[in-house]
Amino acid sequence: MFEQAFMQNAFIAGTVISIVAGIVGTFVVARSYNFLSHSLSEIAFAGASFGFFIGWAPLFGMILFTIIAALSIGSLENTQARQDNVTSAVSALAIGLGILFLSLGHTANSAATGILFGSVLGISPADIWILVVMAILVLLAIFLFYKPLRLLAFDEAGLLVSNSKKTALKILFLVVMALSVAISSQLVGSLLIFVLVTLPAASARYYQGTVAKLMALSVFFALFGTWAGLALAYLTNLPTSVFIAVIEVGIYLLSIWLAKE
Amino acid sequence: MVNQVEVKDFTAAFSGRTILDHISFSIPQSQFTVIVGENGAGKTTLIKAIIQTVLGAKRPVGEKAKAIRVASKYLAYVPQFRDLGSDYPLTIHAFVALGLNRGLRPWLNKKERAAIDLALDQVDLADLADQRLAAASGGQKQRAYIAQALVQNPDLLILDEPTAALDAGHSLALVKKVRALQEQRQIGVLWISHDTSWIKDYADRYLWLHDGQAESGLAQDLPDQAIHHHQEVTNV
Repeated sequence: MFEQAFMQNAFIAGTVISIVAGIVGTFVVARSYNFLSHSLSEIAFAGASFGFFIGWAPLFGMILFTIIAALSIGSLENTQARQDNVTSAVSALAIGLGILFLSLGHTANSAATGILFGSVLGISPADIWILVVMAILVLLAIFLFYKPLRLLAFDEAGLLVSNSKKTALKILFLVVMALSVAISSQLVGSLLIFVLVTLPAASARYYQGTVAKLMALSVFFALFGTWAGLALAYLTNLPTSVFIAVIEVGIYLLSIWLAKE
Repeated sequence: MVNQVEVKDFTAAFSGRTILDHISFSIPQSQFTVIVGENGAGKTTLIKAIIQTVLGAKRPVGEKAKAIRVASKYLAYVPQFRDLGSDYPLTIHAFVALGLNRGLRPWLNKKERAAIDLALDQVDLADLADQRLAAASGGQKQRAYIAQALVQNPDLLILDEPTAALDAGHSLALVKKVRALQEQRQIGVLWISHDTSWIKDYADRYLWLHDGQAESGLAQDLPDQAIHHHQEVTNV
């Protein structure tokens, strides 16, 4: 399996993505931003199809669109509009735009399927470089602002900073989340973003009681699903994201069941 | 004695209604001060103005003051509401550690561990440190919130109705606990309270907000009207 270059690339990409998704997912779940992450992935879909339309790498389109969305959502956060309503409006518009760009760009169906359900087995070395640079940026931002981001995610009421600093921190959080969603879409696709960004972190909550341990276990669950999913996809010739989804949902359900016991 | 808080000519008016009308008062260092007043009297507005001053934020539209001076290097605040959810994963120890939010190093050093242990010990939660916060009782949760505020060694601790969700027995226990640690640490405490029953016995000073005005003095001199009014409100 590992003698094939495309499998090596897929494992490298999968590992990088799982580490980012596990760490950022811990904050996303703590802040109850699960559905916002899904909306961001729909926006990522629009961005990728925009990328195809104008001839960019889809990941660049994703990054551009998700960051614009993160900044807009961040500035809308303090208004009277209900967050879930804003989120549904943004999602609807994003999917509409995605379909528009796919149609305008006469993008092949296989490319569209790749955006929606992931296409890690076809990832190129150049894409991996972009992925690694993005991942380093996300992890660096988390390292530099770890303590305030941790407090924002796990206990916003305890975060005692001026209102302007709080808004800046919230926007940083959304941008980090947007980048992670764009990165993770490369592996599981826009429609299955929950599989890597929220499910491993949600499962970890049943076992761990500190932020660092939650992150570690979340990364472990994400890595386990990704590696096993890639191996199974190789053996069966079926899509990777199916297996990752089944494994992560399985871990989550098992965790709930064990917690009830 | 140097004043820890000095407010001069502070006015707060929102949507055409004046909540605080040119109030001035001062609070000496290291005092346990209770802020009383009916709902809408401006208690939270005043506290927020003090906090934002320490944080160096711009004064919002509708608020004016000749001066608000707060002698505090580190201020800690325990808000009235916290929406953490029944599946909140962190242990009490990890929750308290969230209060250490300065510097880059993501892990705890010896000094920080000692600060957490001291704070947990002072609020009687040392034995429950590894228990999940979500599984704690109302009183234990309030004490965990206070421990999180204490962990950075504040010189001024502000609490917004910490006993609102507690029964009379647990409320008094919390008052005694905070009084004890205020004396041990020699810090200033500003405590917003609806319950006036314990003020004369456990606080140093009062600040009574009513009709847009502020009256302050020694706790033992708390005017009967302030107590009386509270009883009328709670008996309705």
